[in-house]
Amino acid sequence: MEQARSQRQVNSRTGFAIEGSRATCVGNWQAQELHDVEKLMSQVKWPADAVEFDLGGITSLDTVGAWLLFRTIREIDDGNRQLSVLNVNEQHQKLLDLVEDRSESIRKPPKPYVPGVLESIGRHTSSQFLQYFEFLNFIGKLAIVFSKLFLRPWRLRWGLVVKELQSAGVNALPIVGLLAFLIGIVIAYQGGIVLRDYGANIYVADIVGLSMVRELAPLITAIIVAGRTGSAYTAQIGTMMVTEEVDALRSIGVAPLEILVLPKLVALVIALPLLTVFADAMGLFGGMIMASSMLDLNSSTFINRLTEAMTMNSYLSGIGKAPVFAAIIAVVGCFQGFRVYGSAESVGRQTTISVVESIFLVIIVDAAFSVAFSKLGI
Amino acid sequence: MAEHILQAHDLVMKFGRKCVLDRISMQLERGEILAIVGGSGSGKSTLMRQLALLQTPTSGSIELFGERVLEMSEFRTLPLRRRMGVMFQNGALFGDLTVLENISMPLREHTSISLETIEQIAMLKLALAGLEPEAAALFPSQLSGGMRKRAAVARGIAMDPEILFLDEPGSGLDPVSADAMDDLVLHLKRTLGLTVVLVTHDMDSLWRVADRIVLLADTRIAAEGTLQEVLESGHAAAHKFFHGRRGRVVGATYDQ
Repeated sequence: MEQARSQRQVNSRTGFAIEGSRATCVGNWQAQELHDVEKLMSQVKWPADAVEFDLGGITSLDTVGAWLLFRTIREIDDGNRQLSVLNVNEQHQKLLDLVEDRSESIRKPPKPYVPGVLESIGRHTSSQFLQYFEFLNFIGKLAIVFSKLFLRPWRLRWGLVVKELQSAGVNALPIVGLLAFLIGIVIAYQGGIVLRDYGANIYVADIVGLSMVRELAPLITAIIVAGRTGSAYTAQIGTMMVTEEVDALRSIGVAPLEILVLPKLVALVIALPLLTVFADAMGLFGGMIMASSMLDLNSSTFINRLTEAMTMNSYLSGIGKAPVFAAIIAVVGCFQGFRVYGSAESVGRQTTISVVESIFLVIIVDAAFSVAFSKLGI
Repeated sequence: MAEHILQAHDLVMKFGRKCVLDRISMQLERGEILAIVGGSGSGKSTLMRQLALLQTPTSGSIELFGERVLEMSEFRTLPLRRRMGVMFQNGALFGDLTVLENISMPLREHTSISLETIEQIAMLKLALAGLEPEAAALFPSQLSGGMRKRAAVARGIAMDPEILFLDEPGSGLDPVSADAMDDLVLHLKRTLGLTVVLVTHDMDSLWRVADRIVLLADTRIAAEGTLQEVLESGHAAAHKFFHGRRGRVVGATYDQ
């Protein structure tokens, strides 16, 4: 009776209260409710001579609660205190026994090894070198496969090439066209602002024509294709690495390079120049629309000026870069795909690397082209 | 009469035109180990996923801890989900977290107890699942198949769930590890008072751990009851499943 009354006096919320030597635990001792109890248990001043834990008021106990109790009892057990646990029901006892049984294995968890700064730098450097070496290795292997192709061109899987042409080329037309069109508008607008002040409206055709055809169309197209197709190559080959399909190809006696890389490379080298031509046209079209609406330059004047401003050289110097960009995108995309190992997580990582690396390389090579063209006077 | 903590009524699952589960009704009693068995593609994993609220059936109703869950919003089912643990077939451990962080994750998300205590609890669950303390610092990719399943069980029981779902606990393990996995399930049931639902087609597991069996065949429950009852049910599917060459070998050794 008396015990029942004292329980009612204690707040029915989860917690415990100390009265004399008795620590009365009440409420729902489950993980979600225990943060206050945990704090209280480490702060409270325990009676020096004896502590009786009364678990009679606990409605439910889980391993977290049991562990907190056990840990506290172990901590305050200094040999002088009389410690006892009262009113334990069968199920609670089971849990207390459980944590006691396993208490040996509950110690400071080992920390995963974290390398120091110097070691990280070293590791990163060596892995980068290793990757360059692997990349050269990959290009070498690819060159061998490619040279064999010249001897026996019928060995190329033309079916796969056509499929890749469809997905990398035809399906990319809308996005490439739209973006080139918008870039054309932007260039005409920016150029138009300056030219209008000088009354040199007609030269907007020069600006749009040359910048679009020589530089922007090939670059924009390559960047879109790197993001769209290069990533798809990495993801496709990467997934096949994870599911061991690449190994399956090897076991059947088919060179993965021949069936997975070569058709993609050939298809992209064909598709990217074609896409660039389309981007040229759409960019010029965009520029023409902007010129007529902003500078009152009608389209026949624009086209007439265009034919004077543009030379065959500038057109070819733009288109000529596209196959090189295509090769970079396809090779980097496939290479990163083959570097996937282990889990699906690695596919995502390599795909990101593939896109960043191929865009980076495309821009570097584009800059190199510019330097070379300026030296050659093209 | 034991308490039914999970009841399913007339569950139907259709993928397009293909019917995978057809009017399945079943109950789960507190404290039992229920095995869902059936041939490959019999829908047993689908059924388990529905019971674990991971997949919504085409029609039917599920009553979990006395609440009709299919009518509830996803948000409102969260507290109920915390009372269940799931071990996925391949572990589904988070790849960028260590084993210890994987096990701590539910506790970190749902409680505000101190990190130190959480780590201690995680180490306790790790030990309960039968892993060495050294495994705590490893990443999932560094674990063997058996260890990965144990780590997944440890994460599944992190919040002291009332129901633990195990998807093919023994698959992909060697016989010794699969046996150890069965021991683990029995041990957890004894110590934590867990209710376990497991999907399996491992005969040894069925003989050793299952209190009750639900046999799925042709989108329906073909037989239900203890292993003995299912064996004696005389249903064609049960006969095919348990008296096939693989089933008979195991059965014979246990019959002796």
